Amino acid sequence: MVKVLMKGNEVIAEAAVHAGCKYFFGYPITPQSELVAYMAKRLPEVGGLFLQAESEIAAINMVYGAAGTGVRVMTSSSSPGFSLKQEGISFLVGSELPAVICNIVRGGPGLGNIQPAQSDYFQVTKGGGHGDYHIPVLAPASLQEIVDLTQDAFDIADRYRTPVIIMGDGMLGQMMEPVEFYEAKPKEVPKKDWATTGTRGDGGPKIITSLELNAESLEKHNHHLQAKFKQIKENEVRFEAYETEDADYILVAFGTVARIAMNAIRKARQEGIKVGLIRPISLWPFPEKPFIDTRDKVKSYITVEMSAGQMIEDVRLAVNGHAPVDFFGRTGGVVPTQEEIYHKIISVAGGVEV
Amino acid sequence: MKNKITILTGHFGSGKTEIAINLAFQERMVHSKVAINDLDIINPYYRSRDIENEFIKHDIELIAPKGHLAMADLPIVSGEIYRVLHDPSYRIIIDAGGDKDGATALGQYYNEWKHMKPEMLFVLNGNRPYVSTVEGAMETIERIEEAARLKVTGIINNTNIGTETTVEEIEKGLLLAEKISRNTSIPLVYSTISDQLKNETVEFAKVNPVVYIQRYMRLPWETFI
Repeated sequence: MVKVLMKGNEVIAEAAVHAGCKYFFGYPITPQSELVAYMAKRLPEVGGLFLQAESEIAAINMVYGAAGTGVRVMTSSSSPGFSLKQEGISFLVGSELPAVICNIVRGGPGLGNIQPAQSDYFQVTKGGGHGDYHIPVLAPASLQEIVDLTQDAFDIADRYRTPVIIMGDGMLGQMMEPVEFYEAKPKEVPKKDWATTGTRGDGGPKIITSLELNAESLEKHNHHLQAKFKQIKENEVRFEAYETEDADYILVAFGTVARIAMNAIRKARQEGIKVGLIRPISLWPFPEKPFIDTRDKVKSYITVEMSAGQMIEDVRLAVNGHAPVDFFGRTGGVVPTQEEIYHKIISVAGGVEV
Repeated sequence: MKNKITILTGHFGSGKTEIAINLAFQERMVHSKVAINDLDIINPYYRSRDIENEFIKHDIELIAPKGHLAMADLPIVSGEIYRVLHDPSYRIIIDAGGDKDGATALGQYYNEWKHMKPEMLFVLNGNRPYVSTVEGAMETIERIEEAARLKVTGIINNTNIGTETTVEEIEKGLLLAEKISRNTSIPLVYSTISDQLKNETVEFAKVNPVVYIQRYMRLPWETFI
């Protein structure tokens, strides 16, 4: 295949089409509108359907309806719009419907601004809507990785009958990089015999609902969901570890921030400070293993985020008191610089030996 | 005499802003008064206004929404454009937003500048979706012309694939641009190439008009500490 130069938002859309997604319901919001615009043009070309809903709430409920028929379906938004979708997302989880939802995060809280941020980490990893649930969250760091993870997102959704979130920041959505699309080998996904596509006198009615008025029955359903989350935790953890074997200090960052951190790490290594990086790719399930493997060897972890410190809570849980966990973050749409991260490493390491 | 106004249009993400910025710096070497007008109402990321300090340093006037409006997600343009449009001492570069929607912001100035015969350049990156074919690019040109109420006067071949660009990519884009030029009778003016590729494109530049450009819109990890 030939490489094309695309924006992150366009890549998510095209990767979804390659993953067999033919249905998109959405509402534009900066900085992810290009995704919506691209789908509007692209889906009719593959015999699919694009519909601009009257609101984010309408869009997520249209996704619910389409997912119920067993098709691959997607919606996307950015922080304030993503908040509006929470009720529908909780419904999708409760009804066990597969769908992919994309959040291209911007500065918050509230309307905030349209600059890049990662401050929706709590929202995507700790539930977001009501009820006991988790959703698999994938956080790509490059446009090529978007291609792979979008395919994975649809596969995970179908395999576990769950919504899956792709989370990036405004920068990832807007930046351009060369990417290559490929025809992925069709993965083994279970047959959707639960889909409400009509019966042909071949069994009872198929019902998709998140309503269960009987307490015992709802608890049983919750146990079933929890067992599923446990299975996802066992099978769907993704991360990248860079030079962690001999590291005295390990940076923890995801998405674009991990890329900014890389040059700071290289520079610190040149100065003789042994620094490595753990980059969670699945934010939920959070990768605990790379921390368990390193927490008795390192002097300290430093999480770097475009937030006031959210992932740091999961890092602390994984480190479980075995080592100190330091933090550097910028908020409100300010992107941390390589220099700032480098200086943070130096200050935690107690200076450079001269 | 050269045109007083040069407008950069093109498909969304084709490289208009980088070329507009480079052109402004170039023109400042031969003109005492250069204004760059950021008319991008489409996308609040990677716009000329992001490098305001560079323009100040080079004594180039940036016309764009200022202050808190600079980062607003609103389709607004600065009224300051009228001041420079009617001042004959200015050389003006217009950086429009992508596609026909971006060109819509140009349409309103038709009566202001029609007699000035602005040069309107179409920036082509043959590696972008929807303009990688002759038909796709021609449709984009037509739509832009309709919205801008102006005819495209020249095509720039800016075909690249970011940091992985090769001479073959540029040649491929040139071929596409030549076909579009033949079908539309719009002249192909030159190819723009990153100055990082100067050595590799010596032969290409001998037989083709080339303008080397610098990249100003950089990602936070692209400059090395």
